[in-house]
Order: sequence, then C-alpha cells, then structure tokens
Amino acid sequence: MSQHPQPLVEMRNIRKAFGGVHAVEDVSIKLYPGEVVALLGHNGAGKSTLMKMLAGAYPIDSGEVRIQGETAAIRTPVDAQRCGIESIYQTLALADNLDSVANLFLGRELLTRWNTLDDHRMDAEARKVFHRLNKNFKNVRTPVRRLSGGQRQVVAISRAIYFNAKILIMDEPTAALGPEETAMVGNLVKQLKAEGVGIFLITHDMPDVFGLSDRLAVMKNGKLVGTYRTTDVAEDEVLGMIIAGKQPEGKVQTHTL
Amino acid sequence: MGTVLAAIAIVFNILSGGLFMSPENLYNIAQQTAVVGVVATVVVLIIVARHIDLSVGSVMGFVGVLIATLMYTGGWHWATASLAGLAVAIAVSLYQGALTAKLGVPSFVVTLGGLMSFRGAAFLVADGKTQPVNDLFFQRLGGGFDGAIGVTPSWVLAAVIVAALVVQMWSKRRAKASYEVPNNPLWLDAAIVLVPVVIVLGFVAAMNAYQIPSKDAPQGVPIPVLIWGVVALLLSFIVHRTRFGRYVFAMGGNPEAAALVGIPVRKVTLMLFALMGVLITVAAIVSIARLNAGTNSLGTSMELYVIAAAVIGGTALAGGSGSIMGSVLGALIMQSIDSGMLLLDVSIGVRYVIIGQVLIAAVVFDVIYRRVTGDTV
Repeated sequence: MSQHPQPLVEMRNIRKAFGGVHAVEDVSIKLYPGEVVALLGHNGAGKSTLMKMLAGAYPIDSGEVRIQGETAAIRTPVDAQRCGIESIYQTLALADNLDSVANLFLGRELLTRWNTLDDHRMDAEARKVFHRLNKNFKNVRTPVRRLSGGQRQVVAISRAIYFNAKILIMDEPTAALGPEETAMVGNLVKQLKAEGVGIFLITHDMPDVFGLSDRLAVMKNGKLVGTYRTTDVAEDEVLGMIIAGKQPEGKVQTHTL
Repeated sequence: MGTVLAAIAIVFNILSGGLFMSPENLYNIAQQTAVVGVVATVVVLIIVARHIDLSVGSVMGFVGVLIATLMYTGGWHWATASLAGLAVAIAVSLYQGALTAKLGVPSFVVTLGGLMSFRGAAFLVADGKTQPVNDLFFQRLGGGFDGAIGVTPSWVLAAVIVAALVVQMWSKRRAKASYEVPNNPLWLDAAIVLVPVVIVLGFVAAMNAYQIPSKDAPQGVPIPVLIWGVVALLLSFIVHRTRFGRYVFAMGGNPEAAALVGIPVRKVTLMLFALMGVLITVAAIVSIARLNAGTNSLGTSMELYVIAAAVIGGTALAGGSGSIMGSVLGALIMQSIDSGMLLLDVSIGVRYVIIGQVLIAAVVFDVIYRRVTGDTV
C-alpha cells in the first residue's frame, strides 16, 4: 500500500510513567493531512498525556515521534511549535490577567526593529483573526478573565489559526461552550481539515466523534485499545471499547487513511 | 491612589499649618522615599511573578557595607568599589534565584534564610565597624547638601519630560491610526498627558523653591529622586514594552499556561532576580552616600517597607497584577503619612501602629474593590 500519503504525525511505541504509574504504555498512532482522529477514553486513560508529549509539555520517556517522515526531537513547547504543532488545551492555557491580544501572541510576540513589543501591529493582527472566528468580538483589550467562555475559546483557537498550525491538538474544545459556539468550533474543524491540517480531537462527546472524525482511537489504562475508521463502528461498540476495553468483534483496525 | 496621596497631603497640610506642603518638607519626603522606592519598583515584579523577596534589606546592608569598606579601608575608587558591589549583589541574587527557579524551593524560604544570612554577612565584612564614606562626589548621589542638580537643569529636565510625554502620546495616536485601531478622542488623550505634565512641573517648582539657608542658590531636584525616577521609567518600559516584562505578568497570571505556551519560565525568574541584584546595588549606593557611612544595620527591616509600598500601590500578593507607578505612589503614601505625623509630633509608637493599619486598609480596600468589580485575581 505504498501509494498512501506520508503521515503528518507518526508516534511509535510511546511510553510515559509518572513515578510508578504507567500513564502511557507502548502507544503507536498516526495522523494524516486533512484528517481528524478522535482520541477517546476515560479520564486518566492517558489521552491527554499522550497529546501533551506531542505538544512538548511533557518529555517522552521512550518511543519515537516522526513529523512528515522525519524524526522530531520534541522536548519543549517551542520545539513542538517549530514542527507546526499547536494545542488548544482544555484549560485553554490563557493568562487571565492579560488581554486577548497578549494571550494570542504569548511566547511569540511580534517585535519592532528595536526588539520591543510591537503592540499596535499585534493589536491589528489579532483583531483580524478574532473577527474571522467571531464577528462580535470587540473587547480585545480587556483581561481575558472578564470574557465569556466562548470568547476565551476564540482566543485559544486563534493561536492555532494565526500561527498556521499543520497539526492541531484539541482537548475537549466544546466542553464549556453553548450550542452556537460548539457549531462554530465544528465548522472551524471542517475548514481546517479542508486546508490539509491534521487534527487530534480529544473528546467525550459522541456527536462530535461521529460528526467530525475520520478515524477514532480508544485508550484505556494507558494502552491503546484500538484504532478504527469512524464509519466502520457503531456508538455502542465505541462505548464498549471505552468502558470495558473490548475490541468490537469482526471489525478491522485501520491505521491509515 | 493618586487621589489618596493628594488627600493625605491636604489633610496634613491643614493640620500642620502649611508645614507639610512647604518646599523643604516635600524635598525631604521625596529624598527619603527614594531608597525604598527604588527597591519597591522591582519587588512589584517579584510579587507579580508569584515570588517574594524578604532578603532585600539584608542584601542591601551587605552590599552597602562592602562598597563602603572597599572605599574606606581598601582605598578603592568609588566606581570600582560600586562595580564590585554590583557583582556581589548579582551573585547573591542569582544564588537565591537559582534555588527558586531551578530547584523550586519557595522564594519565601530562600529569602527568609537570606534575610538572616546576609545580615550576618553585613556584619562580617567590616567586623561590625562603621565605614565612613568621604568621597565628595559619591556623597552627592545620596542627596543632602550638594546632592541636587540646581534650578536650571531641573527646569530643563522638566521641559524634556513634558516634551517626551507629548511626543509619546502623539506617536501612539499615529501608530494606532496607521494600523486602523480606534483612537481615544483627542481631548481625552490630552487630559491623560496633562496630568503627569502638571505633576512634573509642580514637583520641579517645589524643588526649585527650596533653598538651604547657608547656600546662595535653591536646590532643585535631588539626585536620589532623579535616580528613582530613572529606575521607575526603566522598569515601566520593561513591563510594557519588552517580552521579559510580559512574561513576568503571564507567569504570575497563570504559571501553567506560561509553561505550556513555551515561555522559558526558569530563565525569566533568574533574570528577574538578577534585576533585583542590580537595583539593590543602586539603593545601597544611594543609601550609604546619604548616610555618609556604611553600617551593618543598613537596610534593617527595609523588606517590610518595600513590600508595604508595593502592596499599598495595588500589587496583589497572589501574583499577576501590580504596577511600577503604583509602587511609586505606595512608597510616597507611606512616607507622607510617616513624615506628616512626625511634623505633628506624633510619638513613634503611634506612628508604627498607624502605618501598620494603613497597610491593612490598603489591602482591605483592594479586596472590596475586586469583589465589587468581580475580579478574582
């Protein structure tokens, strides 16, 4: 099957332990351009830990990460950003005391030629990105703790869009959102997918899984239960994998597009 | 907060029959606040980043005595002695910073140890002996008899500051316009510029009105105040215009997020402590120049005053919020109350009681204000 495109991300035999607890054990997973892979599992199944390793937030104990076929040494969030990996964390990772513009560019500020912060340029650029996601988002200079859940989500998502993510990790992006904002996130996922961005979607929400993902991977107790094409499995089979760690009978695992 | 300071000044002025607002008293208050004010500016940043530094007074004492000893006993030139002091202060701060940033020892513990150790070190440097400072040029850095810049330079300085304020606002409006970001109405921006302009002109006028009776010309702006002003401007610049300043606030607002977006948290913490070392040296120099001596008790309990100045100035001990200008006002409020009560012949015991309660009142006000506006940080 050599005519398959090259995977955007290939994580091979990844392991991670915290003290004596094996958070992730020998997990291998691939992500292709323009593909959405849903990562499912109980709380503590290891899906967030796996993604945090890809995002450089946790160091990997053993295993290999390949980005577009090349071995990537991802040790810090900056390494991950260089590989085109952006993350939208469940906690959103926003500094509540700073405004949305500062948060959008946090860690990657635009500078003037004197190496000082170019606030006006950042302000202007930020307004453009926010406007794309939410036309009513005007109070960009308010500390983000005063913004609504949806606006805070817009700020977090804007990071991924502005910095042209090739690989996007979304950790429960719709957990705190109303229906309208959930639809906005759904549309965004489809739009990014069409642009060839690969997306890992961590979620508990079955409509999201079946509405947005191409493949789904289920984890339990740090191990991968299985990876299937979303259209091949039914909801109760997915729940069986999440709750009992039971692979559905007669279904073939799919590790490629 | 500026209003509070103005109210304090007016009340004391009435109670003291006009003595409080006399040029001489304003000159003394400005000059006496400078040392605490210089250190308070950087303590704001330390607290914003969710750390604390209890060792500032002891380290200042240690470095001050060291510089004085090198000059008096060692016969060094004041410049080389000061540079040596700077090197030692940075080394001390990096030691404390590394324990905090690299090993994760709480800065409260590290600097509490430092509070004791470096007071001891201040004693050890000169075996507890007072070291006189005789260099006349160096003495001017501390203010005092010849420690002001004179009338004409003071007015020139005021003119430069006013021009800078106007140019800054003008270029800000132009930059906003060029990026199509909405500007404030012109009258509002004009008012925003006018407030500091009036304060600067009023302050310089007062300093230029003060003449020591045995001298034939008025004093003008005292050098320690000038140093304080430069430090405050520099730190405001760092806070608003540099990545370092933004990262300090981000780390204070959400340390986890700061790490997740790739801010080099440890490096920033270490740089912050190094900055502390630099400003402690500046404060130590001004301090020994003012006292004309370095003694091992120099800076005793100063940590409490600088933290109080920062807190009165609106810095939240939980981290993430605070401002340099706030610390300037906080330091001035504290010194004004102390000096005002001194003019009214209030006993030292009562003064301590009141200043302590003012500190609490400032925080109570802050807590209530945040509750009303719904800010939780």
